[in-house]
Amino acid sequence: MTLTTTFDMKQTVSDNRLLGLYRMMTGFRLYYIGAIASLTIATLARTLSLLLIGWLVDDLLSPVPQLPDFTALTHLNLPHVEVIHSAVPELLPWVALGFLVLAVFQGAFSYLSGRWASHTAESVAWRLKNYLFDHIQRLTFTYHDRMQTGELLQRVTSDVDAIRRFYVEQGVGIGRILIMFSINMAAIVYLNATLALLSVLVIPVLIVVSLYFFHRIGNKYEEFQEQDARLSTALQENLSGVRVVKAFARQQYEADKFEQVNWQKFLRGKELLVLNAVYWPITDLLTGAQMVLSFLFAGFMALDGQITVGDFIAYAGMVTAIINPMRQLGRLIVDAARGLGSYARVSDIIQQIQEPLDEQKPAPVEHIRGDIVFKDVNFAYVENELVLKNITFDVKAGQVVALLGATGSGKTSLVNLLPRFYEYTSGSITIDGVELRDFPKSFLRKNIGIVEQEPFLFSRTIRENITYGVTRDVTDEEVYEVARAAAVHDVIMQFPEGYQTLVGERGVTLSGGQKQRIVLARTLLKNPSILILDDATSSVDTETEAAIREALRRLMKNRTSFVIAHRVTTLMHADLILVMDHGRIVQMGTHQQLLAQDGIYRRTFEMQSRIDEELEKELSHVG
Amino acid sequence: MSDDIRFEEEEFTTQFNGGTLLRILQLVRPYWHWVLGFLVSIGLVSIIEAYFNILSMRMIDEGILANNRNRLEQLLVEYGFLQFLLVVFVFIFIYLCGVLGQRVMYDMRKKMFNHMQSLSFSYFDRTPVGWLMSRVTSDSERIADLVTWGMLDITWAVLNICTALFFMATINWQLTLIVMLMLPVLLYVAIWFKQKILVEFRESRKINSQITGAFNENITGVRVVKALRREEKNLEEFDGLTRGMYRSSFRAAWLSALFLPVVQIISAAGVMIVVWYGGLQVGHSITIGGIQAFVSYITFMMWPVQDLARVYAHMQQAVASAERVFSLMDTKPEITDRKGAKDPGTIRGTIEFENVDFYYEKNKPVLQNFNLKVNPGETIALVGPTGHGKSTIVNLICRFYEPRSGIIKINGQDYTTMPMHAIHSRIGMVLQTPHLFSGTIKENIRYGRLDATDEDVIQAAKLAGAHDFIMELENNYDEQVGEGGVLLSVGQKQLISLARAILSDPEVLIMDEATSSVDTLTEALIQQGMDNLMQGRTSFVIAHRLSTIKKADRIVVIENGQITEMGTHQELLRHKGHYYQLYTQQFRQELSEKLERELKDDTSNTQPMSA
Repeated sequence: MTLTTTFDMKQTVSDNRLLGLYRMMTGFRLYYIGAIASLTIATLARTLSLLLIGWLVDDLLSPVPQLPDFTALTHLNLPHVEVIHSAVPELLPWVALGFLVLAVFQGAFSYLSGRWASHTAESVAWRLKNYLFDHIQRLTFTYHDRMQTGELLQRVTSDVDAIRRFYVEQGVGIGRILIMFSINMAAIVYLNATLALLSVLVIPVLIVVSLYFFHRIGNKYEEFQEQDARLSTALQENLSGVRVVKAFARQQYEADKFEQVNWQKFLRGKELLVLNAVYWPITDLLTGAQMVLSFLFAGFMALDGQITVGDFIAYAGMVTAIINPMRQLGRLIVDAARGLGSYARVSDIIQQIQEPLDEQKPAPVEHIRGDIVFKDVNFAYVENELVLKNITFDVKAGQVVALLGATGSGKTSLVNLLPRFYEYTSGSITIDGVELRDFPKSFLRKNIGIVEQEPFLFSRTIRENITYGVTRDVTDEEVYEVARAAAVHDVIMQFPEGYQTLVGERGVTLSGGQKQRIVLARTLLKNPSILILDDATSSVDTETEAAIREALRRLMKNRTSFVIAHRVTTLMHADLILVMDHGRIVQMGTHQQLLAQDGIYRRTFEMQSRIDEELEKELSHVG
Repeated sequence: MSDDIRFEEEEFTTQFNGGTLLRILQLVRPYWHWVLGFLVSIGLVSIIEAYFNILSMRMIDEGILANNRNRLEQLLVEYGFLQFLLVVFVFIFIYLCGVLGQRVMYDMRKKMFNHMQSLSFSYFDRTPVGWLMSRVTSDSERIADLVTWGMLDITWAVLNICTALFFMATINWQLTLIVMLMLPVLLYVAIWFKQKILVEFRESRKINSQITGAFNENITGVRVVKALRREEKNLEEFDGLTRGMYRSSFRAAWLSALFLPVVQIISAAGVMIVVWYGGLQVGHSITIGGIQAFVSYITFMMWPVQDLARVYAHMQQAVASAERVFSLMDTKPEITDRKGAKDPGTIRGTIEFENVDFYYEKNKPVLQNFNLKVNPGETIALVGPTGHGKSTIVNLICRFYEPRSGIIKINGQDYTTMPMHAIHSRIGMVLQTPHLFSGTIKENIRYGRLDATDEDVIQAAKLAGAHDFIMELENNYDEQVGEGGVLLSVGQKQLISLARAILSDPEVLIMDEATSSVDTLTEALIQQGMDNLMQGRTSFVIAHRLSTIKKADRIVVIENGQITEMGTHQELLRHKGHYYQLYTQQFRQELSEKLERELKDDTSNTQPMSA
């Protein structure tokens, strides 16, 4: 189906970051090896064409005949090597062709190298992104409670991209430099060993200088980026606060403030540039010095007959190929170190344990009726800090349980246990007589509908949002039906694009009540056996409250429902009311029973009736 | 955001526009000596680089082949000297060009920012913040790049090709002609590639932002995803995105990988001709060093060609950016001071709406024939359903908008005869969602009056009821409020915005009361602060709380852009109209909220009963 299903990313986790990155290439390694091999062949072809020039100069064109030594070139399949001297003009086209062949080789293989390296990097990134996406939606609630969205997002985007670049930029880049160095170095050694030593004098200095500078350039760049972020923030604040700016007539002040960040950014940019403006000429100077030195010695050697003129020409090309790329080495190493850091951060997410959804076991019942029994249930998010203590009650299928209590009294924790978002610490919960733990999570969640306090919609069309909870195909008629039942159909039809209207940033902004009703429609379509309504009417304005109440009544019909609410009017018709305080059930019963007791419930109820008296009093003042 | 996406897509359709290019060049006119500086140095770099090949040719021909040690030494000294010069020029051009780029960006941002401050309210209502942001950030960067590095690259490339051709011609003109024939082919191929690559690159950037969006939604909505067992389907959809990302970035990558080899092979064909034809001429019209120089020139030729192609491809984008930036800079503010506008010195006095009509969109009238006269010092509560014209009235008083017809008079004088500043600087505004700027609390309060002393700031905070909570913070008045004030609670932000308004000591006060609930104590503080602020000032309050409404001198009920009821609290209640309904409804709600809160405090104090 998707790339993810075939590969377990957990295998790639390693303390050795390089090893981890190597393992991440599983399945694409041959491509990467192919890419490096192609790089080698391309470099070889380039070096050979340099040697070919030298050979051409010495043996075909030189006015002074010299002793030929072509043993190294015979494997090139250049024909008639042995008859060069007698057939100079006839051989020329072949040599020319030789150049072209080598160029084609070099081109073809550098293309292959680029293609395969990017195939590796892009595929690894593709698979990794898919894996992380899936992994994140399967991690436990506990993990998500503790992790910041921004940080997680940063890791799955920037860090994954840094890993991708590690393969395609730094890996191949450093590889290229090393290969160019080895091959050209070997060729120079073949020409003359002393010359070879002289050619690399400057390299250690070059590496040290480039490491030093790129370390500093990297830091300066980060400062520059920070200032850039500050500028964006200043701008954003000014634009979104335009009312305040205008209301206080503070345009000039704002301009001055922006001037400061803007100027700072200019200065930071300038500092960064000065570093670059110093670095590149310095390396130019170093490479230049090396070239002068090399030409000097090679030239003298040629004059003394230690090497041929052709050797000299070939040598000039090779020295350039060794020295120039070295200037990039510092940058590549600094970036590669960042890539390794990104691997560590991503690997940290990969190592987190997913919550098993199916647990390899079949559902114990085919259909949930909804008889639920809690017996001595304790629960703690953190060890030894119980948020639910000795919860015991039972509810028959189709009944409504209402939960009343202050914030933090444990109502939401209690209902979160049912879909097994969290696992209870001790005690027993059964549905239709079967222990909750014996139900696969997947089965439970398909059969439990939740309407949360703050309705969450996705940036999709309204229709997609309504059908979000079901995997089967749904007809338009079905969608309309649930939307009507949720009292939101008419609202949707008022939008120009109806059910195809996009929700959120890129589409319409819906009111809290409208969102809530779309969520109700979504839950209705899902048709769960058990329903949880977590303070579902709190974000609703009074005008739509009646409509939502009616929709809720329809929703709760024939389902075992748990309702969390603050208002007694919402609760009084429940079959069972649980009054919670500090993680315990302090009162339990029907409206009538609880009214008969002295306690939180009766006090709450009494307050509601006081309202009418007060209003009466207030209005009588007017006369 | 949808606008942003639409505007980004415009890039593809924009054609070249000479006028825009010229206007881009105008941006660096004040720095012409900088431009001259980097152009001269890059020119010299280009020439020296091209000359190096001639030097090595002479080293071979005059030094090594001629067996002349002195000549070789001389030439190497020359080489070293030129290398040194090169280094100096490289430093100069990187410095000049880079700093100029930063400077041009700085200038553009400053201009845009200052211009935006003068634009009318209606412009900001129409234009998404994201759109404006990308004009100031990314577009200005693209333009600056074109006018600095782009210009540098073109100069270098053109000069490099020209000098190379010149030097080649001095060696052998027949061969040079062949190379000149090759150039257009190279350039054509290069541009073709660069444009293809750019298209794929943009596509992958677009998908990348969708991927980020998908990740974001999946993380923030993870509870719903889990509750609805949506994992498999989500992954399947996400795979569609990442697959697309793979396709376009892989395509961009292999096109780039193909680009250089293709150009190289075309050059190699040139080299082949040189070797073949030139080889036959050795001893007659070309030397060995000459052939070597030719080969170097041709193989190097691909770099300037590639640079030209790249600049060309990006130039289209930069021109599109420039058009958007210029369109922003050319936008005229809709409301400006009339000629001969005179500051009356105060705006205390009556405020009068006379037959005012107003609409935001032509066929959707908001206010029609609206009349209202407000006496000095009066407090007016504006009441009515959302979207029926309350905010519009306030916007008109502030002159963020002007009436489409009819007039608004301040102290009997049409307010369009006054300068905007005269009105804005004397009106205080407290918004429903208080907007703070990142910085300290002190800075935020001082926003009300910039020359206020620390004592003034503290005094204002005390009047607003903000002083006590501020003193409880770790850094007191120097506490950072965070971006948009995120580090503070809504109630605290409201108190600070009250203090800010008190400090500005306005003559007319506009308040949009907050609907969001805050804790009882803070609410009482806010109420007290508001009372202090309204004292002795003409005030307009878009009111939600009964306590505020009841205290108003006059309650104006606005429905469908008309005043449907007006009078004191008592009068309107007796009338038993819309206000009566509104009041009873609101009364129930406020009281039940209050009682529930009491209950909550009550229960949390109760010790849990033992089971």
